[in-house]
Amino acid sequence: MVFRGVTLPFMEASFLTKQVPNPNEPKWRSTLSVAMPLNLSYIPIGLACGVLLHAAGFNTILTGLVSIFIFSGGAQFMIASMLTINAPLLSIVLMLFFLELRYALLGSSLSKYLIGTSERFKFIFAVSMNDENYAVNYLKFATDKKWTPREALMVEHYSLLFWTVSNIIGSLVGSALKIDLTVVHFALTALFLYMIIMQVKNRLTIFVGLIAAALAVFFLVLTKSTLGLVISTLISSFIGFALEHYLRSKKPGSHFLYKVSSPGSKEAAVEEESDEN
Amino acid sequence: MTAVNHWNTAQHLLLIILGFFVAFAPRYLPIKIFTQRKIPEWFNEWMKYIPVSLFTALVVKDVFVSPTYQFDIIHHVPEIIASVIVGLIAYFTRSMALSVVVGLVSVFLLAVVL
Repeated sequence: MVFRGVTLPFMEASFLTKQVPNPNEPKWRSTLSVAMPLNLSYIPIGLACGVLLHAAGFNTILTGLVSIFIFSGGAQFMIASMLTINAPLLSIVLMLFFLELRYALLGSSLSKYLIGTSERFKFIFAVSMNDENYAVNYLKFATDKKWTPREALMVEHYSLLFWTVSNIIGSLVGSALKIDLTVVHFALTALFLYMIIMQVKNRLTIFVGLIAAALAVFFLVLTKSTLGLVISTLISSFIGFALEHYLRSKKPGSHFLYKVSSPGSKEAAVEEESDEN
Repeated sequence: MTAVNHWNTAQHLLLIILGFFVAFAPRYLPIKIFTQRKIPEWFNEWMKYIPVSLFTALVVKDVFVSPTYQFDIIHHVPEIIASVIVGLIAYFTRSMALSVVVGLVSVFLLAVVL
């Protein structure tokens, strides 16, 4: 797949262009190039997170541990900010629980690709799954039939490595480093925006996105917590499912089911076949 | 900045251990349950809409909702404009890395200008 429009010769690094799969390429390299955009966005955010955890009183070893065992940007930023306001342990854990509840959605929607893997594999896979590497892996599973759970796990571990090392460096450098958090955090926002665009197959998906946006604002403001993310996602995805079911059975010619053309690639990013599975 | 929190290392460690369990349970249980049983077709059809809904919710939280959970557009103008740019870049180039890089650069420049 060729890069259209702007040519950026100086940025023509392998991870910037769509990869033509090379069967002889070792797995560690092909998965690394898949994970690379995420890895690179983790560096500034991880540094910022390490700096904040340091300021909140976490030592470097604990910062490394929390990055490995919780491995969630949102959670670690929340720990740092709640520690600085001296919140009690139990209320931090409770807030973490609400924040992490959305991982149940990730696991549920990814599980059909993990059927047949061993119990040990599922355990290890779950430990290092988070929003961002889920986004990368879901897109790969949906568009690349050869993508295996083992490769998905490698993407998780690459992102874990970059995240943890960045956090540790941030913790070591401490407050000497000034990072504008709102700016670097936008890397993840951009990553999710990209993922939304890749999910758009037909007009119905756009409609579901709009409902999801409205519901997300409503429930975030209503619950005053990240629980709003879980509620709005459950409802809007269910609306999408119900609408599609209704339209396919009652109005198969509906304009809602029209495909949205996608420039830059010949086929839609998410294959139609994946619908029937 | 000096440390404003006076917890000791053991308390921090306890927080990490408890945090691990509350993060691990929702990560693990659905994978374990839904890979074992026969999943009804409607469930998979529903789950198909999870990514677009969740990613939209995450973006909306970053772009339209303040840290104190108020709907806020005025203080997010750079992010809103940068989001439109990222959307266009993603649509036309289909490159994740380019979307992220352009997003970072544009939000940085817009924050300086606006």
